[in-house]
This record gives sequence, structure tokens and C-alpha cells, in this order.
Amino acid sequence: MTPHTPASDPDDDLDPAAALDLVDRQQEEIERRMVAGLPLILGSWGVAWGVGFTMLWLIDGLAPGFRMPLPIAVVTFIVLMAGALAVSGIVGARMGRGIRGGAAAAWTGTVFGLAWPIGFIALLALGNALIVNGMPPELANIYYPTASVMLVGFMYILAGGIWQNWQSIAMGGWILLVACVAPFFGYPTHYLVFAIAGGGVFLVGTVFTAVWIRSGHGGAALWTSR
Amino acid sequence: MNDLDPIIHAQGRLRITAALATLHTDESIAFPRLQELLAMTAGNLSTHVRKLEDAGYVDVQKTHRGRTPITYLALTKQGRRAFEDYTETLRSFLGGQP
Repeated sequence: MTPHTPASDPDDDLDPAAALDLVDRQQEEIERRMVAGLPLILGSWGVAWGVGFTMLWLIDGLAPGFRMPLPIAVVTFIVLMAGALAVSGIVGARMGRGIRGGAAAAWTGTVFGLAWPIGFIALLALGNALIVNGMPPELANIYYPTASVMLVGFMYILAGGIWQNWQSIAMGGWILLVACVAPFFGYPTHYLVFAIAGGGVFLVGTVFTAVWIRSGHGGAALWTSR
Repeated sequence: MNDLDPIIHAQGRLRITAALATLHTDESIAFPRLQELLAMTAGNLSTHVRKLEDAGYVDVQKTHRGRTPITYLALTKQGRRAFEDYTETLRSFLGGQP
């Protein structure tokens, strides 16, 4: 069967195979361009976790040979986390610019966004309650980072569920696993576990998304979900 | 019955329609963002969009953010249907070849 191709338009010289190929390539290209900032976001979290938790580990991790001064370690950690948060906000807004979502998407985004600070406030409250009830500082050093990492893992799984992305679910599952395993290493080695296994998964995500965004074909089927 | 929809079956409009089809049904995209994503000139994009709008395939909404006018584009229900029919027709052509 020879398809009839109407010749009503000057740039209309597409045969069916070329047209279908153009559709596929165009849609893939759009999806890649839409998430162009994702490696930057994941990379900033990878650095924040990797360097930040390593700094906390260095407070006692190499003692007595070396002790990172506590204020330097804590301030570096906070600055890196705040920096990654800022990068996520700015780059995320840039990626979504010009896209107007419906009411349902706005509702989901708002609730998911607010669940982060609410979750962190709740786990801080629980930590304080445990301290009031006699939790020693050594345990608090285990509790706070572990509970925070757990929340992050849980939220990544939820994000994957909401926006149908299995990579996010896999990352969240891995982070949750890290949170379950790290406390068994005890203080201060658990910080090193968060730095390597936690920061590492963000860096893997960075490389994975960067490679997909730069490559024309191939990785698309892995990353796209709709 | 095998005719391909001439509104969609032209490189520029096919690219625009395919791009708009990646949005969710309740989403729309600002003209400059679509222009940037497609790497088309404003004139070229608006010419094609007008044809798609005249055919009832694209909904053009003019609004304001502060004092800046913004035009949002989205496929209409009819446009999404036409695009699905179009790609189905293409696949049936290809499936029908030996």
C-alpha cells in the first residue's frame, strides 16, 4: 500500500516512517530539555551529602590523630545543605518556567512541598522529646541524621509514586536502606556511611541523568515513564 | 480513509503538535518556552500555531503576568485526538508494509 501524502505544504515531504520518527525524536527531545537542570540539582545534593557528612565524620572519625573543629564541621554541613536547597529551588523553577499546570497538579505539588518541612519539624520534635526523656547526646547524634535521611528516602519513594518515575523510587529505596543500615556502624562511622552511600546515590543519579540528557537516543526508555 | 491529516502532516506543525502532546491534558506552555524548546523563530511558530488554532487543534490563551502579556498554548481535546489518530494512521501504514 502506498500512502497518499498530501502536498499542501511546502515543507511537507514526510513519508510515514520519517514522520513517526520525527514524532518520537521530538517528544524525546522535549522530555530531555524539560529536565535539563536535573543533573545540577542531584549533583548539588551529592556534594552536600558527600562533603557535609564527611565533615561531621571528621569531628571524631580520625581522632586522636585529627579532629575537625565542631563549629567548622557543622557550619559547612548547614551551608552545603542550604546551598543544595537553593540550587534545587532556583533550577527547579527554571525547569518549570512557562509551564502552567492544572489545579490538580498544583495541589499535589503544594502538599508534597509542604510535607518536607512538616516532616522535618515532626522528627525534630520527636528527637527533643527523646532527649527530654533521657536520650544521651551520643544517641541524638545517631537519631537526628538517621531520621532525616529516612524522611528523604521516604519522600523520594512517594515522589516516584506521584510522578510515576521508578528511578526516584529506586533512589528512595536505597536511601531508606542506607538509613536502616548506617546506625549499626555507630558514631561517628554512620556519618561516613551517609556520605558515601547516601551522597553516592545522588552522584550516580547525576551521571545517569546527565548522560541521558546529552545522548540523543538510548537512555530515553529508561528515564521516561509516560 | 488513509489520508494523513494535512493540518498535522507538515514538519513544523508536526513538531509543535508532538511537543504539545507531551504535556498533561490540564497543562499549557508559554509561547517563548515552546519556542525555545523547539528552537523555532517566533514568526515561524506563530504562523504554524495560527493554522493549528484555526483547525481547532490548539487553544491559545492570552493572559498577563503583572503587565507582561503571556500567551499560553495547549492542545485542545480535538487536537489531542487528531494527533493520536495521525500517529495511529502512520503506524497502520508502516504495519501494512511488507
